[in-house]
Amino acid sequence: MGDLFSDYTLDGFFDEVFEATGVRPHYRGVVERLRYLSSADLERREVIRDGIFRSAGITFTVYGDDDGIERTFPMDLLPRLIPANEWDVIERGVVQRVTALNRFLEDLYAGEQAAVHDGVVPRWLVHTAEGFRREAFGIAVPHAARCLVSGVDLVRDHEGTYRVLEDNLRNPSGISYVLENRAAMTRVLPVAFAEQRVRPVDHYGPMLLRALRSVAPPSAGENPLAVVLTPGVYNSAYFEHAFLARQMGIQLVEGRDLVVDEHVVYMRTTKGLERVDVIYRRIDDDFLDPVVFRPDSALGVPGLLSAARAGNVTIANAVGNGVADDKAVYAFVPDMIRFYLGEEPILPNVQTYLLWDDDQRAAVLDRLGELVVKPVAESGGYGLLIGPHATDEEVEAFRGRITDDPRGYIAQEIVALSRHPTLIGDRMEGRHIDLRPFAISGEQVEVIPGGLTRVALKRGSLVVNSSQGGGSKDTWVLQADAPTTRSDVSATEREV
Amino acid sequence: MLARLAENLFWAGRYVERAEDTARMVDVTYHTLLESPQGRVSQSWEQLLEVLHLQQLYGEQPIEPERAVEFLVIDRDNPGSIAACITRARENVRSVRELVSSELWESVNDLHLTLRSRDMRQELLDQPFQLLRWIRRDCMTIYGVASETMPRDDVWRFMALGRLLERAEMTCRLIDVRYGQLESIVNASPRGPAAGAETALGAGRTDFHHWTAVLKSASALEAYRRRYRSSMDPADVVEFLLLEPDLPRSVVFCLTGAMHQLEALSGGAPSPATRRLGRATSSLQYRDVTDLFDVGLHEFLDGVQDQVGDVAETVASEFFRHQPTGAMHAIAAG
Amino acid sequence: MRLDIRYTTRFRYAGQVTESQNELRACPTTDDHQWLVHYDVTTFPTSRVQSYLDHWGTRVDTFGVRLPHDRLEVVATATVETGSRPQDPPSLPLSALQDSRFRDEHLEFLQTSAHVAWGDPVAATAADCATRAGEDAVDVIMAVHECVAGLEFQAGTTQVGTPVDDVLAAGAGVCQDFAHLAIAMYRHLGIPARYVSGYLFTVDDATGEDSVTDEVEVETHAWIEAALPGWGWLALDPTNAQEVGERHVTIGRGRDYDDVSPFRGVFTGRQDHELDVAVTMRRLALEPLGDIPGGFMRQVAQQQQ
Repeated sequence: MGDLFSDYTLDGFFDEVFEATGVRPHYRGVVERLRYLSSADLERREVIRDGIFRSAGITFTVYGDDDGIERTFPMDLLPRLIPANEWDVIERGVVQRVTALNRFLEDLYAGEQAAVHDGVVPRWLVHTAEGFRREAFGIAVPHAARCLVSGVDLVRDHEGTYRVLEDNLRNPSGISYVLENRAAMTRVLPVAFAEQRVRPVDHYGPMLLRALRSVAPPSAGENPLAVVLTPGVYNSAYFEHAFLARQMGIQLVEGRDLVVDEHVVYMRTTKGLERVDVIYRRIDDDFLDPVVFRPDSALGVPGLLSAARAGNVTIANAVGNGVADDKAVYAFVPDMIRFYLGEEPILPNVQTYLLWDDDQRAAVLDRLGELVVKPVAESGGYGLLIGPHATDEEVEAFRGRITDDPRGYIAQEIVALSRHPTLIGDRMEGRHIDLRPFAISGEQVEVIPGGLTRVALKRGSLVVNSSQGGGSKDTWVLQADAPTTRSDVSATEREV
Repeated sequence: MLARLAENLFWAGRYVERAEDTARMVDVTYHTLLESPQGRVSQSWEQLLEVLHLQQLYGEQPIEPERAVEFLVIDRDNPGSIAACITRARENVRSVRELVSSELWESVNDLHLTLRSRDMRQELLDQPFQLLRWIRRDCMTIYGVASETMPRDDVWRFMALGRLLERAEMTCRLIDVRYGQLESIVNASPRGPAAGAETALGAGRTDFHHWTAVLKSASALEAYRRRYRSSMDPADVVEFLLLEPDLPRSVVFCLTGAMHQLEALSGGAPSPATRRLGRATSSLQYRDVTDLFDVGLHEFLDGVQDQVGDVAETVASEFFRHQPTGAMHAIAAG
Repeated sequence: MRLDIRYTTRFRYAGQVTESQNELRACPTTDDHQWLVHYDVTTFPTSRVQSYLDHWGTRVDTFGVRLPHDRLEVVATATVETGSRPQDPPSLPLSALQDSRFRDEHLEFLQTSAHVAWGDPVAATAADCATRAGEDAVDVIMAVHECVAGLEFQAGTTQVGTPVDDVLAAGAGVCQDFAHLAIAMYRHLGIPARYVSGYLFTVDDATGEDSVTDEVEVETHAWIEAALPGWGWLALDPTNAQEVGERHVTIGRGRDYDDVSPFRGVFTGRQDHELDVAVTMRRLALEPLGDIPGGFMRQVAQQQQ
């Protein structure tokens, strides 16, 4: 009988499943279940998995494809496991971080701007952030829940420490994969799943709806109406927009389905106009309201911001959150936590260099080939320089860009992302992964157990984004702590 | 329901029906031509284009059978072509994917993808009948799938309403195209147009094969035979296709079916659309058709189509009216 | 000087249009130099006007007309008391502008913006002015002011969005162009500068005097303010080659025209429309109030928030 792990190597990276002496205790059950599966058995399970995904229509559209051919975001058969004690740190850290970010944003747009006045976050940095929306000035959000849905990207470094890589506070996507991955895994590996006592994720829809209704304006009355606003079927994340509307049992609308009358938003139905109180929008700020933002946008709703300002509708996520997930502002989030919460950050940042500072820039330019450089306002893994993987020409091109626009980029030390065995062909190989837990802000901040584990499927690659050829894993948060003692490994001793 | 989605459902129903009925009409025109002298060929296609209101789009080029068929079946620049109708049906269904059954979406999408992937031009040349029959069958499959997988709620009703109103119009055209073709044959005869009308009547009354083809293309031949045995009186055929309450492609069947859907959509209360549709249906139901050939069948059919068109417009203003008309523009002033 | 202002915008559409949504910035602000006594906006068709102060402190009136209409008329009326302002900036070396705290506070007015993005010609002209003026910041500001004031006022040669380098090359433009060009030159020299939208009460064409109680037809106007460390904003009107005084009524300030444009909106329907904007001003024959106490002004400003 073959063994999927027989040639598995650690290559000096922190591995989620294996430590030097063998399989980490919390992974033993799953590894034993999978280890001796025959290739026919694996194939059968892959067929089940693919069937589930196809029939659920879990796809993202590839832009520029007029046949609308839809691809799936491949899920690996081996899940990622997080023991309760590790999850506890992640959960508290994410709640802390998102709470501070909410406070910062509410203070910036609808408060005294204390963090700016006190120099915690430089004023000019805020004023030059691409995501800063002066147009949103003066619009308050109930409970300061400005990041109603946020995704905090975490990585584990070579010592296994969880660190925040970046914050996604505008329209983080991926939650649909979390729920569908789980639905598929419980059918692909039912026994392994049942043995592990995994914390459920399927209450996400009700949780999101509860948060949306909790931020309804006071004028909404007892039973506020929430909708999901999508740019339309041609958007690459349309599947997720539809999925979320279905999970919450609320209407999925496009901008043209809504109309503002006397600063109140209505939905156009076959029976007339129906008032809308909360809009979970998956449209970027610039397209939201042509009166205020891009006048050529047909995706948005004219007058929407005036309705929000009049206190007749709440827009979630709030307008202008991009100022706080700017990758240069990211460097100041630990200070925001200290300033607004009076606490030390639970989850550390990755060492980040701010390139407008002459000394830091000079030091970075000296060792550009060893660092990661990121544009401050991009998401989705676009426009990165990964020094060690780049050609000399690419490095030189970034040198020019940084010199021309030092505010436009940041540099970070390369994190040797942890690896996780991933089924490649018919055997397991180590691939780099990250974790995007999703936090929901309503009356308080809650984190759905687990999140999206993304896998860089290309050997050696550090970029996990779906748009860059990434895959995913179901993420199992265990009810139990990981055993703290080194248990007897002889039974499962392996070449690793 | 969102007004936009209701409208998309309505049009999804219309476009699939239009594609199917266009296939039926192309089929019947072909069929007729097999038994016609060569010179009539281009006139027959011209008549068909006219009945479908597509002659302007077709343009000034000479009407050759191959080009006309291509224009009607696969030309994507012609919004009335079968391929274009299916594409638009698919776009409409795609926008309401959250409301309809996944089986319905898959069947529409499959037809769309197949139409794109096959070498239709060659197939049209080689086996036009087979291709047209295949399109008809796939369109019917779409309805079958919808019928068997969807609850009878407003989603279903808007789609059914669109389909039934479209079919009512198209059945009128189906009768008209046949009748018009007979007329043109006679008009082109050496005796000249003066004797045309009367002779058309004569030809129409006697041409067994042609009326058989009409019935066949409306999937009504067997039903007709059971009702009328071997007689093939054009007045009977027209009456059957217009007024037979139990025949699924008859105009009255479609209008009464549409009325059921409309009443359910309006919650039973009378509305401008139900009133209009009621008037159109009853004026047809109680029409004596024996003199139709004498007063002008073509004009009569045009009148029925106009009434159905009015109903569709009233439906639009009643249910879809909350959408603005026209584009959005930015303004600025100093 | 007490002034009545009436700002009227009229759209006549070619057909029925619907779902119009708009923003108006026409309300005189209250600050150290002027005091808003009264302000009111009405629209036809009537609508509920919702007002707020934007990021720049400008009052914005928002309103919409959903149902079909073929014209839209907006009338804003204001009464404002203006005072003269001190124009005695101290002598300051240019280097004082490099103070990092000063730069941090004024960064928005030091960078390029949508209508203030300049190239080599504007940069070279600005540098010339600075060289001629020497080391004193106020001298440099005045040199740029005089340089821009030398352009010819000419309607029709430019439009909203004409780049400042083109304005310089043409040597002509309207008040927005004068303001944008001056701002570009200041920013190039590291002097924070902002755009001011407002009204200017002009003398009677026939007599050359102020007409009192008679209405004067004017247009909306634009000028600039340049910042001096430790002193404040120096207000200059390059279009009229003058300093800003009690005839100038400020609506609001921003990085450029886009931040304070008087009217913007959208509607649905046929695009064709006629637009008619009219501004009339009237000087009221009242005894001047004398110096307006600054504390009182701030109180009024706070009440508005």
